[in-house]
Formats: sequence, structure tokens, C-alpha cells
Amino acid sequence: MKRFYWVLALAALIAPLAGSSQVRVVKSMNEVSLLDMGMFKSLSDGAPALFRRILETDLTRSEYFKIVNGLRAEYALLGNATLEGSSLIVRCEAYNVISKERYLSKTFKASEDEARKLAHQVADEIVMALTGRPGMASSRLALVGNRTGYKELYLCDADGQNLRQLTFDKTLSLAPKWGPDGRQMVYTSYRSQFPDVYLITLGNNSWKGKCIANFPGLNACAAISPDGREVALTLSKDGNPDLFIMKISSRRLTRLTATKWAGEASPSWSPDGRQIVFVSDRSGSPQLYIMDRDGGEPKRITSAGSQNVDPDWGANGFIAYSSLIGSLFQVFVLNPATLAIQQITPEDASYEDPSWAPDGRHLACARTQRYHSRIIIVDMISRSCISLLPDSATGDWSSVNWSPR
Amino acid sequence: MTRNRWFGVLVVVLACTMCFTTGCRKKKGVAGDKTTGGMLGEPGMEESAFAPRPGELKILTDVKMDTVLFDYDSTQIKETERAKLDAVADYLKNTNTRAGVIIEGHCDERGSAEYNMALGERRALAARAYLIGLGVDGSVMQTRSLGKEKPVNPGHDEAAWRENRRDDFIFFEQ
Repeated sequence: MKRFYWVLALAALIAPLAGSSQVRVVKSMNEVSLLDMGMFKSLSDGAPALFRRILETDLTRSEYFKIVNGLRAEYALLGNATLEGSSLIVRCEAYNVISKERYLSKTFKASEDEARKLAHQVADEIVMALTGRPGMASSRLALVGNRTGYKELYLCDADGQNLRQLTFDKTLSLAPKWGPDGRQMVYTSYRSQFPDVYLITLGNNSWKGKCIANFPGLNACAAISPDGREVALTLSKDGNPDLFIMKISSRRLTRLTATKWAGEASPSWSPDGRQIVFVSDRSGSPQLYIMDRDGGEPKRITSAGSQNVDPDWGANGFIAYSSLIGSLFQVFVLNPATLAIQQITPEDASYEDPSWAPDGRHLACARTQRYHSRIIIVDMISRSCISLLPDSATGDWSSVNWSPR
Repeated sequence: MTRNRWFGVLVVVLACTMCFTTGCRKKKGVAGDKTTGGMLGEPGMEESAFAPRPGELKILTDVKMDTVLFDYDSTQIKETERAKLDAVADYLKNTNTRAGVIIEGHCDERGSAEYNMALGERRALAARAYLIGLGVDGSVMQTRSLGKEKPVNPGHDEAAWRENRRDDFIFFEQ
């Protein structure tokens, strides 16, 4: 009964923002459908087997499906994964078992060493075809790890695989934030002995970076705008940490805040790029404010909780953030239209610095217990919590940021 | 008074108001009418402008000054800490070396890493503003926030947190 009430509360929270998709089928986010994969055939080893295993895992992780094999289900997957030479060929049909309506009918081809990547792609296509909503399987996460003794940037896939170290600067590399194309990222580095903001462009196996802000004082908290052309960031070059917008191409700065007795940090852009949510301690404690990117008076949006920090304004229109309740942080989701809030994380640990997945329902955040932090994926709908990285990933992990695609 | 005189008075009053609100760019050197010892410092004044970052840093490793400590979530220079800043000011004003200082602001391990970047920076700026009030030239002082990234005490209790909420002073040759 308790579950019913919070589902109802959640539905009330998200009702104004649901159902904006143009696709034929739009499933309610809290519906879990049975998906029969019994008629999807693959060899029992090699690339086809890996493909099938990853596809099944991705579909389960999406939380839109419960996979069954040969049992009565709402949907069924028909097809096969085979090897032809060194190419992996996947034929796939997804249809409604009762109505026989076919939602996806496609053939995919990739080289056999790209089985994982193809499985992620196909999983996202199935999620979109059967629910009308984007998946998260093909996306990546940027995060900060300290296992080398220094805080460096890392990348991994949405299932925690393919963990790769990005920076090797042996200094502090912090706060990565993706740009809209999923290829660019800004972060803060102390390479110069001072905190500066860098812009990275990722290639397939390499990346290039350049410094875009190295003013005296603090350069930090950078966030790329939804159109990829600007960066909101905190600069203290004029004597106080305030928010600025920088046009990336010209480096031209526009000042957003001028609070002599307060600090501003953690800007995050609205999906339409017209507003920015940020942290300010002008009231005496760090709270969240929203202001237009063109200027004007910021509006305070948080009142409960002694500290409200680390906002992430998702493409779904909601703002996720951490709120200090007692001595623990919890992740909350806020509807900026109504200011209604909902706690997402359990009270067994401190959960901080959330980042929305492109599926608009999952969030990555840092879970701290006994002063060690790991990355957890939480689902706004089911409240499931799973670890992102395998236990073998040593050290503390934090500052996770989910790519937009 | 005649209308012209009223107009003249109005112009003077307006000019003075604008001067105060735009920060009196013409003033140089010591922060105008700020008294020493009692003020919290005022970040953002024109005369406190940063110099560009020093190119190569030649750290003066044998110049050591006491760490300035802060209360939780605070950037206020406490009374107990002022003597430490007086010593820093004395050194910078009287040294024969052309010394500069990096004021390094830190926070304890609790709370948002990003917010703590801004908080650490404000702690550094508060010390810098106080030193400007004591007559130190703004151009010899850089700030560097390290947020909560570099605690001096790795413990997880009030004693450790108290030690970590601090400004450190790193002197370099200009």
C-alpha cells in the first residue's frame, strides 16, 4: 500500500512532464513488460553469444522489461545473431504477441570485435520501439577515480564495462561534464598548479584538450550549454566566485551573478538552454536557484534540507540534486514547474552528485559509506540501486557525469 | 538657491553616487577608508585586482607562516586568527625579496566537492582582502582553492575537520 502511495506521488510529480514523445507507442515509465527472447537464436560462444548476453543484460537494466524464454509474454523478440566471416550479423524483429503488431524489423552488421557496442545499440532501438522512450545502453559515463594516487578522469560504458583512464596528469582532474554531442567534455585541472577549465574532444581512441579558462583565482564548475556553444562556469577573477557564461569560440565572457558576500557554483543548464540552475550560499547556506541565462533576479527553488547542492537539470525537465538531511546527503528530484520534490535514495548511506542518464529515469551518483565512495545507478521509478563498476575497480570514485547520448 | 545651483548640486550628487557604485576606479593603493583589524574585508574592490598568474613558480620553501583556521561553512576571519595574518602582512611589506604569496583555501571533507571549491576560494579571498586592508598590494597575492581535495589531517572527526578548514600561505619569488 505504501508503494502505491509513493507511485501515486511520483506520478503526480511527473504527470506535467510525461508523454511528450511523438512516437506511436509511449509506455508509462513504471510499466514493466514481459519480453520473450526464446525465439532469438545465437551460437553458444564467440561474438554472437556475447551479443545475446549483453543484449539481454541491457534490456533488463533498462527496467522496462523482464526477460523470459519461451513463456507467455507481452512482447517477443525474433531473429538471430550469426558470424559471417569476421562480421557479426544480427537480424531482429520485435513484436506484440497478442496483436502481432511489429515494432522493429531490422538487420544490423558490425565487426565481430564490436559485439558489445552493437548489443548496446540494438538494446536502445528495442527500448525505443517498444516503449517510445530513449534507452541508456549506448551511453557512457565520465568519472573521477583516485586509484593511481591522483584524481584522474575515467570513462566507462553504461554497464560499467570498458573502464579507461583518460587523463594521466598526476595532479587533480575534477568535475567532468559532457557536451551535447557526447564527444566533448569540460573539466577542471590543476596541471598549471592552479584550477583551470579545459575542453576535451574525444576521438575514437584518443582525445585532444585545450585550456579555455585560466584567469587568476578560481576557474571551475564548468557546464556546456545544450547547443554546445557556451560554457557556464565559476570564476573568481574579479574578487569573488561568481557565475559567468563563456562563448567557447570567442572566449567572450558574460557575468551572471555579482554577489560580493556569497559564492556561486555548480551551474546546470535547462534543456532549452534558456535557464540555469545553480548553487548559491547568499542565504547563509548553499541552496538552489534558477535564473534566466540573459540575467535577472535568481529565484530560490529549495527550502527543505540544510544544504542543497550539485544540481543536474535533466533532458526530462527534472532537476536532480543532493540534499543534506541530518548528516547524510540524499538524492532528490525536483519539478521546477511546481517545486515538488521526491527523495530517490535510501537512508543507508550518503548519496551525492547525481547525473541523469539519457533514458530520463536512471541516475548515477556517488554513494559514500565509511568515507569511501562508489558509483551507484539509481532508478527514479523503481528505486533500484546497483553498483556501476565491478568490485575489482579499486579506489574511490566520484563526480560521475552521464553522457547525453 | 537659483535653479542653476540646484542643478549643479544635483550633478555633483549624481557624480558621487556613480563613483561609489562603480567602485571608484581612480583610487589606487590602500583600500580607502577601511580600518585595520575590525573589517572582514571586501572582495571585489577595484584596488584588489589580481595580477596575472606568475609564470614559473619559485617557491620560497623556508618562509613558513601559520595556517589560518575557519569555522564550519564560514569564510569569516576570526579574531583568534588575525595575528597570523598580521605576520603575513609584515613579511610581505618588509621583505627584501620581491615575494608574492599564494593563499590556498581549503574545506573539510563534508559536502559537495564543487561547492567546496567556491567556499575554499572565498576563504582565500577573505584572507587576501584582510591583507589588503593591512596595506599589502593586491598584485602580489594570488588565490588558489583546493576545495576539500587536500586535507592536512586525514581523520574523520571534528578535530580533523577543524584543522582542514584553513588557508595556507605559499610564498614565491616574483
